[in-house]
Amino acid sequence: MQTRKATSFSYLEQWRRWAPLAVLIALCILIGLFNPNFLSTGNFIRLLNSAAIPVVLCMGATFIILMGSIDLSVEGIVALTAVIVSLLVANDITTYKLGLFAVPVAMAIGGIMGLVNGVVHVKLKTPSFMTTLGIGFAGLGIATAILGGLTVRIADPTFRYLSLGRILGIPMAVWIALAAFLVALTIQQRTRIGAWIYAIGTDEVTARFAGIPVEKTRILVFALAGLFYGLGGVLAAAQFGQGHALIAQGRLFTTITAVVVGGTALSGGVGSVVNSIIGVFIVVVLANGMVLMGIEPYVQQGVQGLLIIAAVALALDRSRLSVVK
Amino acid sequence: MNAPSSIPALEVRGVSKSFPGVKALDNVSFTIKRNEVVGLIGENGAGKTSLLKVLNGIYQPDEGELLVDGRPVTLASPRQAFDTGIAMVFQEQTILPSLTVAQNIFLGREEEFLRFGLVSKARMNEAAAAELKKVHLDIHPGTACAKLSFADRQMVEIAKALSLDSRITGNITILLDEPTSVLERKEVELLFAIIDDLKKRASIAFISHRLDEVLAVSDRVYVMRDGKVVKEFDGKDVTEKDMHQHMVGRQLHTEYYREARQTACSEKVLIEARALSKAGAFRNVSFALRAGEVLGIAGVIGSGREDLARCLAGHTKADAGTLEVNGQRARFASVPQATAQGVGLVPAERKVEGLVAQFSVAENMTLAALPKFVAKGLLNFGAETAQAKSWIDRLKIKTPSPHAMTGGLSGGNQQKVVLAKWRIAGVKVLILDHPTRGIDVGAKEDVYELVRDMTSEGLAVILLGDTLEEVIGLSSRILVMRDGEVTASFEAPPGGKPTQIDLVQHMV
Amino acid sequence: MSKEWKERLHTYLPIIFLIVLVLLVGAYDPSFFSVGNFLTVTADTMTLFLMASGVTLVIMIGGIDLSIQAVASMASCILAAYLGRFGIWTIPLAVLGGAVAGLAGSLVSTRLRIPSFIATLAVSGVVLSAGYWFSDTRSINIPPDLSASYLSWAVGDTLGIPNEIWVGVVAMVVLSVLLQLTPFGRLIRGIGAQEQAVIASGINVDRIKIAAYVLSGTMAALAGVVMAARLGSGSPTLANEFLLPAIAAIIVGGTAITGGVGSVWRTFVGALIVQVVRIGMTFMGVSVFAQQIVFGVILVAAVAITLDRSKLLVVK
Repeated sequence: MQTRKATSFSYLEQWRRWAPLAVLIALCILIGLFNPNFLSTGNFIRLLNSAAIPVVLCMGATFIILMGSIDLSVEGIVALTAVIVSLLVANDITTYKLGLFAVPVAMAIGGIMGLVNGVVHVKLKTPSFMTTLGIGFAGLGIATAILGGLTVRIADPTFRYLSLGRILGIPMAVWIALAAFLVALTIQQRTRIGAWIYAIGTDEVTARFAGIPVEKTRILVFALAGLFYGLGGVLAAAQFGQGHALIAQGRLFTTITAVVVGGTALSGGVGSVVNSIIGVFIVVVLANGMVLMGIEPYVQQGVQGLLIIAAVALALDRSRLSVVK
Repeated sequence: MNAPSSIPALEVRGVSKSFPGVKALDNVSFTIKRNEVVGLIGENGAGKTSLLKVLNGIYQPDEGELLVDGRPVTLASPRQAFDTGIAMVFQEQTILPSLTVAQNIFLGREEEFLRFGLVSKARMNEAAAAELKKVHLDIHPGTACAKLSFADRQMVEIAKALSLDSRITGNITILLDEPTSVLERKEVELLFAIIDDLKKRASIAFISHRLDEVLAVSDRVYVMRDGKVVKEFDGKDVTEKDMHQHMVGRQLHTEYYREARQTACSEKVLIEARALSKAGAFRNVSFALRAGEVLGIAGVIGSGREDLARCLAGHTKADAGTLEVNGQRARFASVPQATAQGVGLVPAERKVEGLVAQFSVAENMTLAALPKFVAKGLLNFGAETAQAKSWIDRLKIKTPSPHAMTGGLSGGNQQKVVLAKWRIAGVKVLILDHPTRGIDVGAKEDVYELVRDMTSEGLAVILLGDTLEEVIGLSSRILVMRDGEVTASFEAPPGGKPTQIDLVQHMV
Repeated sequence: MSKEWKERLHTYLPIIFLIVLVLLVGAYDPSFFSVGNFLTVTADTMTLFLMASGVTLVIMIGGIDLSIQAVASMASCILAAYLGRFGIWTIPLAVLGGAVAGLAGSLVSTRLRIPSFIATLAVSGVVLSAGYWFSDTRSINIPPDLSASYLSWAVGDTLGIPNEIWVGVVAMVVLSVLLQLTPFGRLIRGIGAQEQAVIASGINVDRIKIAAYVLSGTMAALAGVVMAARLGSGSPTLANEFLLPAIAAIIVGGTAITGGVGSVWRTFVGALIVQVVRIGMTFMGVSVFAQQIVFGVILVAAVAITLDRSKLLVVK
């Protein structure tokens, strides 16, 4: 009977692995039948472009969720880094003209915010959702305070090229997102941290027994996520040509929806950055399809909310949890 | 290998380890010689696993010392134990399903496969394949462990411990805690062959509940009881019967268990179970529980008796079979359903499921019967306090007041609060899961007295005793379980009780 | 310091903190000390308190409700959009909307066994969309005549005391009675302190949890109604920026994030602390925009200070 249990477990694994992809394909076919424009090259590139920022953000968030933690500071960090990068390139408020050198600065600030998340969460032992909620709001507050509620306009075409420029007809933002994905995939598959993230998310005690520096890894992963959010902030600023505190509104929701819908379990240990890519496309395709079908854009958050519930309900191995809070 | 072989590979001298309320290890001395297989046997809770966990650096001993190759060492973590040449195969598996076989084997030790900061999968898989070969497991090292059967995962777990062999140049020691419980016969034989082969190079400690297995592989056997080593058998000339005798030990005193108060049970059946089964836990269990009866259930960990008890209390659902209460079919699909039928469980984990430590004594006592203390929608604090006071007197609970925090009481008094809770709720059947675990002798006697009180009032008790002597002393009837099935049933009238050896034969 | 004293200090620490803050702000600006000003400050605090009051119960069972700001906004939209059509019945309708949102979050969390922060986050997305739908994505003004006939209970004065305060005090008394004197309150504490023991005592824990989330949604919606009444309009983003101060108020008041310990009067005190800190910052010239930073830091610090670490084995 033990063996039977094992097979049913891997059966569940199989379902988890392929269900998101099946959903994505079904969605594409359905929307394509409804509106043939969906399948046009132009729309395809539009889809890729709108997936770029969510992909970058999801790369960071996936690692955190794989550890069984959560990061609610996405919007705070993205807003902060977008505002800072806007002020460092040629703009209508400050006189800095760092050009592309502003990018690593903004990413580093994202990384530092993530580091703060990690250090507070690990050292003070505060639950991650509370820590990141507080730090995220602080980030949002800093972004608002720097600009005093105003908007900064970017006047640096080289910087905006990061999002708007095209190579082989595909926007730069997409190439950057692809690069971010490859980096994340390498981290996940080819580094020690990658394996340790899974180990911590599956069973922290076993991870400790194996001599894994659990605390350091947790902090490092939060900092790493901050770097990705920083890059996300840069892309957002480049795309809109401006920076303001509300630039990241709705990003947290999309990010968590995408990660969870892609099949990464909130309980940790199950999933991957590849899943998150599929999740991003499910969310983006759905949003695109809704626009094509003439559904009001404000319905999207509602649909995403329902998607989260449905995905989590389908994927969560509830037998493992006795008490849920 | 150049040290004289008279120095033991691993030696434990006078080690003690206490947890709140229990002395898990009491002045234990124990040695594993070079190239020797040492068996370790004893009842549940005798301290076998605790001893191995000390050897593996998971527990740090309160007293005593550890010597490896004759040198004193302190092991702060399993990782340090590994680097010292000691690896352990755990009773509860530590294989992580989300990682590959190779990643599991080398978890936390990836540095030897690093190349420019990246882990070389090819080299890691190659090294893992060599380890898998030792346990004759023909799977690709890149397979995710989620896809393996439990038995295969166990073999990977063993391979992980054996990987010590090719990493450490000195002597190595492998600790095996119930490695065979999920293995099929063929795999067990393979494991024994591996152990035999490994002996040339390593020293081994081996825990199993199956005494025949221990006899088959061990050069020497230690028997543990109540945290102490009580007997050491040398050589292979020992029989299962000898081992039984030392595992159980003491003779029981009829006075201690209040046998004079053992009631002849009435004919009134309170609960009847027919062919209850639950996959992976127990099969085809039937019994009738009568008013005034103490039904003892004996069995080792994995015998299914804990699962059966939780099922009767509504914590888990049975897959098949029926339960009747007072002759009526009854559903026990949830705890509220079971309590509504008058069944309560006094759990082994007192602080987790027994009581709310932050609640006052009175609040805990009325937790299962709150509606009885409500008037016009509000709690009737006066009635609650009065009821609590009467039970505090009746059960001789030592507490400064009914409003004192329960978490501050001693284990024995806490247990009495749990018992009072179910008495106030008016249960007819009380399931006691290790009711005297971690409480002192005086409180134990109080609990026994209480059990007799309950049965003379016509209640019935199902007892999963802390020790065999407790089961025998208190019960009027005893079921013995092994591997999820009832293997024997004994009547236990005062003066005609079965012996511990009678029971143990059917347990292991 | 003896254990008993420590506990007593822990109980009254938020009040002491509040008094010190009031004295500090008063020292900076003596005009702060007047009955009229105290009443104004308290009245201004009530919407925050109402939002936080229901979530207090959720936090006491060890959960969290992240949907309250969306719920309050939605309630304001329902009120503003339908007050002309349904009159006084719009108020229970708006509050009912909050109760339904709370019910949805709790059903998702208990039936599907999803952690509450993700369940309520997901529900808040749906509620936000609903708010946009009710208001047709606009901010809707409430005509003064309608406000005068239906909403004076929330914005007028009675016996010289602003009605917001009466509403807040009634809410505090009702919730405190529920929490301190009924079996429901007893079980809320029990679930937060040791859920498995409550389950093992044969109690239908899910029902209690669902009730807590429904109350949380109800109170958030009530807060939205009062907010709309005060501002004279409803909008789908009306209560944005309220989630963080509400949770901060609860935690600063001394309710433990790990559950089991807390009360509604603590949240009342916590809300006043948050308000006085806000006023103090404004006096000292801290920009309104920067105040989120301070609240974010206060929240994390308060969680860290009040956390009972003995209850946490693995922190995620």
